[in-house]
Amino acid sequence: MNGQDWKDKLKASLKMDRRSFLKTTALGSAAIAAGGLTVKPKEAKAFAYEPYPRDDELTTVVTSCAHNCGSRHMLVAHKKGDVIVRLSTDDGRYQQGGAFGKDTFEEPQVRACLRGRSYRSRLYSQERLLYPMVRTGARGEGKFKRASWDAALDHVAGKMEELKSKYGPTALLDQSYAGASYGVLHKSDQIEGLLGRFLGMYGCRTSSWSVPSYEGTKFSSRITFGTIQDGNEDDAFAHSKLIIMWGWNPAYTFHGGNTFYYMRLAKQQGCKFVLVDPQYTDSASAYDAWWIPIRPNTDAAMMAGMAHHIFANNWHDQNFINKFVQGMDAGTMPDWAKDKENFKDYILGKYDNTPKSPEWAAEICGVSADDIKKLAQMYATTKPAALKASWAPGRNAYGEQYNRMAAALQAMTGNIGVLGGCAEGIGKAWHAEGVAYPYDEFANVFYASIKSDRWAHTVLNYPNVKREEIGLWPGGRAGDGVIPNIRGIFWQGSDWFNQLTNINKEIQAINKLDLVVCNDSTITPSGLFADVLLPVATHFERHDVALPWYKGHYYIHRPKVIEPLGESKTDLQIYTELAYRLGGADFGRRYNPKANRDYFMYNDAVDEAFLREWWENKVMHHQHVTMPWEEFKKYGIYKFKLDRPHVAFQDNVEKGVPWETPSGKIEIFSGQLAQYDDWTKTAYGHEIPAIPKWIVPFEYLGDKEKTAKHPFHLISPHPRHRTHSIFNNIGWLRETYEQEVTINASDAKKLGIKTGDTVEVFNDRGRVVVPAYVTERCMPGVLVLYEGAWIDLDENGIDRAGNPDMLTLDEPSPAGSFAYNTVLCGIQKTDLAHKPGWDRLATARSHVFRRDL
Amino acid sequence: MANEAVPNNPILQDKATIKEAIKRHKKEVYTPVVPEQQFGFIHNNVDCIGCRACEIACKDKNGLPPGPRFRRVMYVEGGTYPAVYAYKVNMSCNHCAEPACLPTCPTGAIYKRKQDGIVDIDSSLCIGCRRCEAACPFGAPQFIPEQNIVSKCNMCVDEIDAGRKPYCVMACMMRVLDIGPIDKLREGNYATKAMAPHEKDKLVRQVKSMADPELTNPSIVFVAHSQGHVDKPKEPQ
Ligand code: SF4
Ligand code: SF4
Ligand code: SF4
Repeated sequence: MNGQDWKDKLKASLKMDRRSFLKTTALGSAAIAAGGLTVKPKEAKAFAYEPYPRDDELTTVVTSCAHNCGSRHMLVAHKKGDVIVRLSTDDGRYQQGGAFGKDTFEEPQVRACLRGRSYRSRLYSQERLLYPMVRTGARGEGKFKRASWDAALDHVAGKMEELKSKYGPTALLDQSYAGASYGVLHKSDQIEGLLGRFLGMYGCRTSSWSVPSYEGTKFSSRITFGTIQDGNEDDAFAHSKLIIMWGWNPAYTFHGGNTFYYMRLAKQQGCKFVLVDPQYTDSASAYDAWWIPIRPNTDAAMMAGMAHHIFANNWHDQNFINKFVQGMDAGTMPDWAKDKENFKDYILGKYDNTPKSPEWAAEICGVSADDIKKLAQMYATTKPAALKASWAPGRNAYGEQYNRMAAALQAMTGNIGVLGGCAEGIGKAWHAEGVAYPYDEFANVFYASIKSDRWAHTVLNYPNVKREEIGLWPGGRAGDGVIPNIRGIFWQGSDWFNQLTNINKEIQAINKLDLVVCNDSTITPSGLFADVLLPVATHFERHDVALPWYKGHYYIHRPKVIEPLGESKTDLQIYTELAYRLGGADFGRRYNPKANRDYFMYNDAVDEAFLREWWENKVMHHQHVTMPWEEFKKYGIYKFKLDRPHVAFQDNVEKGVPWETPSGKIEIFSGQLAQYDDWTKTAYGHEIPAIPKWIVPFEYLGDKEKTAKHPFHLISPHPRHRTHSIFNNIGWLRETYEQEVTINASDAKKLGIKTGDTVEVFNDRGRVVVPAYVTERCMPGVLVLYEGAWIDLDENGIDRAGNPDMLTLDEPSPAGSFAYNTVLCGIQKTDLAHKPGWDRLATARSHVFRRDL
Repeated sequence: MANEAVPNNPILQDKATIKEAIKRHKKEVYTPVVPEQQFGFIHNNVDCIGCRACEIACKDKNGLPPGPRFRRVMYVEGGTYPAVYAYKVNMSCNHCAEPACLPTCPTGAIYKRKQDGIVDIDSSLCIGCRRCEAACPFGAPQFIPEQNIVSKCNMCVDEIDAGRKPYCVMACMMRVLDIGPIDKLREGNYATKAMAPHEKDKLVRQVKSMADPELTNPSIVFVAHSQGHVDKPKEPQ
């Protein structure tokens, strides 16, 4: 139904307007109370308690959410003066040809999730940083005093000069991340962010190359397909007949503009769903999926078992393999590598006399051989079928092998490049024009960079560190193999101290540093360890354009909705001003070519110029958009209409375009990996097999020795009520979900644990205190604790908030995947108190309303 | 029980007198409003991902602190590992045809709109006695301690009056929550994305663990989960 229909119907159904209704009704006179009390009759009415400005009496400004969640949804600010009164979202009105209620298959509304909808409470939260602050207590103690911008920036600039001259060009560690600044101009990111370019141009920077979310998956996509753009647009899911959600929970992550919604449409078309996951997630229930519980970290083994069954029954698509794949079998090996292992013979057990049969896999992964066979048959014989191999199972020791194994399954069944199939992987789809900021060689992070979760190891052991221990990127400004001497950290849009692995080790390391600078719009657990806190304007307080980087094809204009709160400035203002302080007009102008020194005070015109240039040169010119910038600003959103659903590799399959790999084929056997002879000289540090293989993880439930001490496997997926650690301080959201550890009912019974009991989860690396949630929806032996809770350490170093990274291992996988989900631990009841938030309020338990037994 | 607690109150000892008093009270304070058209909600219990965007949109619109929730997405789960199931039941105020809350209000703050049957509380008349809270079988009225009043969902009357739909409906990422004329929704004759055409026969007035709709005739209809059906035939209209 379109908007006008609804309006007409509504008007017709109302017949009277509200005013005439109130005049004629006898309702007010009903207010006579029993017991002799007489109240003067008065009309009862809505919103009588305060002046309630209706939406149409407020100023409407279209903007968007700006977090690192993989999606990008519209927020519409309704403001009075300079105050945002409430937020709404896309209702179909804000696009070209829009109308209230317009919500079509091609141009669906991009409706914000619960996190986005809560943004007003984050914007005006007590945790907002309003002034520059300088630390007065010990690191982590949280004692700061207010400073002027001048004093704070002078302090930072002075320290930078000192560290650079004393310790050389690697002394400052860039730990920016995509926390809160995802826009085309104001970008905070590990790759190509504003901070990286600033430190690079300054000539003192160590970068962090592995991406916490998906490094294993990224590696697999690059090695196998030669690109990370292996994704379909979200609407393509509506065309699948079978969707296997492997460790994927779009009901929590959302993962794209309308991914979850298009999957609902697929379901209505008769698509079947399967979930392979240790938890029966809300995605499983909403899509009515067949749940296959699996032991964490054993995904590659199960997939190998599926591949075996497919080969054994000749269900593979040999035509597709012969045409497009390298190394799937002996016949598709390159001539120079005929003596190397190929995938099929590995699966059949030719090299080690161990066929990777469903029975073999069942022993490892805890899924019955029958179920493995059944799923293999479903996947091989349903066309088209989407095996969505998500990132989470890749955040493991050898997580890259799981993703490569998935790619092998996708390729052998010919589900690549077809509508309704899936080659994801990373899953990045439609390519947005993402760069409006000045871009040059300094934006490139790949020199003098280390695996991101090895910084503490580097600091604690310097100079006795081997390059392979820290994943040192070859080459490097200071010379190949030179171990960085890290003496300071910069954070931009990043709460990495709270979010990287093994926090206790980070605490030791940070106390060795001479400078820690944190740019953020709120205080964060990381901020507590900083020397200087620089208050950053939120995306409501600066001009930008939002782009979805994962799925969805649209741009959302993001004007300055309100003036920056307090003395907050944008990151670009801060780095521009620092550049002027460090290197005078030369550095200042090079860093921000459109600005003068007064940019720190007046940034509107310069930001507008950057954005207009980006729109006109890139969007209008490269992407053939005809809408002028001014018109785009008026509407608020530009939705692209694609000629056909965007499906990765469609041209490769249909038109024979070669893949971007060295061989031009889908490389199940990677020529690049087969040719390294000294792995210590690579960024990986350790050998990675040329074909996907199951490799025993550092710790998992199959490890008899380690499980004797720590019998549970802990996984830490993305929560729904936070974007990583962002929003942990929002009371509204903590009401929707309590930080708690999920445990299977039979396990809990043995330990005498009931829902709501406070428990301690522990291993040799740390201890956390959280309430327990006892359920049948979790696999026995597995605990689930969502990442991102703000650490709240007691005097014994026990985290009362329940951040799983107190327990994780800072040993990355060779390809760089963080081993976030490779954790063994114990669990026991405790008398210690849990602290759900820094404000120390208890939250209502609203998660499970009724248990229906 | 009540009789034992106040043994000396002669009025309370006589059940007939009590009934008579309630009847009189109801008549005095409340003339039932029969709306020209009753609006109500539809929610798909299965396809709802339980994201609670609807809840937060509502809290933001109504300026609620943490605590009171006009809209409540309830999570139901059952079964035994690994044969488990889960679904959501999403309810705010049901703007009942015969609201239980309304006659309990001693100040007449609660009223029902003639044109669309919306039940609302005038907060300037509310004295925070919390009687409606106790009377409602669905937990809709929410006490707000900071203001010492009870407040609840008013179906976003301002948006309805402006020709738009409520915030929660417009927030739903899955398009499984909607409003419309309740009789049409119940018949499955109203164009809504909340249900697929083939789900028409899954529409129910009541789901498991929910209070008996006979109490107040709530204006809500659900696409129920197979495990959420009550063991009763579908109510006739
Ligand atoms: S649901 Fe409760 S509060 Fe709402 S009208 Fe019915 S009885 Fe009143
Ligand atoms: S209709 Fe309005 S007041 Fe009622 S639950 Fe929805 S958003 Fe809240
Ligand atoms: S917004 Fe929609 S999908 Fe999310 S909880 Fe509410 S009704 Fe369910």
